[in-house]
Amino acid sequence: MTAPVTTDSDLDEAPPADQGGRDAVPRYGLLAVAAALVVGLVLGYAGGLLTPTLTRPGENSAEAGFARDMTAHHNQAVAMGLLAFDQGQDPEVRQVGVDIATGQQGEIGTMQTWLRSWKLDPTGEQAPMAWMPDGAGLVKDGLMPGMATPEEMAKLRAASGREFDVLFLQMMIRHHIGGVHMIDGILDEGSDDDVLAVAQTMKNTQQNDLTNLSAALKRLGGTA
Amino acid sequence: MSISTPGGPERRPTVVSTGKKPAAGRPAAADKPAAKAGSGKAGGGKGTPRPGAGGKGRKPVAPVKVSQGRSWGPIALFVAVGVLAVGIIGVGAWAVYQGGQPWQKRAEAIDGIVDYRAKDKDLVKGGNHQAGAIKYDITPPVGGPHNQAWQNCMGDVYDAPIANEHAVHSLEHGTVWITYRPDLPADQVEKLRSKVQGKEKMMLSPFEGLDKPISLQAWGYQLKVDNADDGRIDDFIKTLRVNASIEGPNALCDQGVTATGTTPRDNLQNTMPQQPTQ
Repeated sequence: MTAPVTTDSDLDEAPPADQGGRDAVPRYGLLAVAAALVVGLVLGYAGGLLTPTLTRPGENSAEAGFARDMTAHHNQAVAMGLLAFDQGQDPEVRQVGVDIATGQQGEIGTMQTWLRSWKLDPTGEQAPMAWMPDGAGLVKDGLMPGMATPEEMAKLRAASGREFDVLFLQMMIRHHIGGVHMIDGILDEGSDDDVLAVAQTMKNTQQNDLTNLSAALKRLGGTA
Repeated sequence: MSISTPGGPERRPTVVSTGKKPAAGRPAAADKPAAKAGSGKAGGGKGTPRPGAGGKGRKPVAPVKVSQGRSWGPIALFVAVGVLAVGIIGVGAWAVYQGGQPWQKRAEAIDGIVDYRAKDKDLVKGGNHQAGAIKYDITPPVGGPHNQAWQNCMGDVYDAPIANEHAVHSLEHGTVWITYRPDLPADQVEKLRSKVQGKEKMMLSPFEGLDKPISLQAWGYQLKVDNADDGRIDDFIKTLRVNASIEGPNALCDQGVTATGTTPRDNLQNTMPQQPTQ
């Protein structure tokens, strides 16, 4: 397309008079290319800088709601798990208790780190479960699905022996069923890949737990 | 192929040599196939304009003259893109500023809040464990030494006063402790209860001798208000709950003292449920 015919190197000298105008054209072209490069780089840099800010989950996102609410939900499971480790009589109850306590405390750390990296507060002003469609209706007295009331927690604290074991298993089964329901909520509503992956892991863990908790409850002669 | 490009015009002949001898360079101008080869080379290797200029003034360069005056199209495009870039940067900067305000700044902005961390720089280091009754200068206390056992702060609602020595330990773990004068009307207490129940790192208890009906404490911060409907209560909770923790968000709130009473319990075993006898 361009005029390549004149590639001869010995023709370099003294361009004719009318060259001036023609020379300016390519120089202008170079300037334009340089300007485009600069603008492009600035845009690219700014875009790269700002994209995480503008695309990370916001204050009222399902991801933030899940991270905050599941932190609260997990906190009670940790409390129950530590009680089981401390007060349980059945070896499996003690074992499963400490497993749930440490596992869910670790997940709390993950969720809190998300919120931090999203530049959000660890807690929100929204009502519990507001991020989930029809979620608010599942909250009773500030308690999310499956959570034990203060009275139930007090009863668990006061229990011992087989009574404790059965009560713990019943309460933790209910707690996990509620937890899985919330996890399903974020799996439906969420779009952040990391959140979805962690949520899926949580669900797998809790569903396995549910199988084992139910079997243990049956073994101890309790009813769900 | 690509190795030849840096060489520029001088190198070209050697590359062209696949088809023609170096000597063919000039005649190539007239020669169809050679011109083709040359054009491919020149296009790939830039520098086309300069050699073009040398063309003895005549012929093929002229048709190339695409841009005679200014081409406003690209200019407008660049301006538009530039404006867009500035706009994006502006919006982003604004968003960052808005969202990135650290919680300490937002705490400062709460009307009437007292920031004891500003007065005592060492407060942020936390406090030591200390047995027995401890005298606190600030009432209700907002930090300092405390009992080794914390008050359970899993959204616990206590209907009787609790021991400062345990409560301060809960503050260190990131709890917002709401206290109210025992004469606060029941409907007001109910409103406070709804802000606490089921929320870890929160606890509520009556407190004798408050100079205001309601007082909120976080580690190093205090806010006193007259009414449970005061919007600053939610601001205080949102800004300081967990954030004010000296030990981060993983500090425990369960496994603490669940009993009420203002005397600290040094022998925790007495307050804990009986261990199962093995």
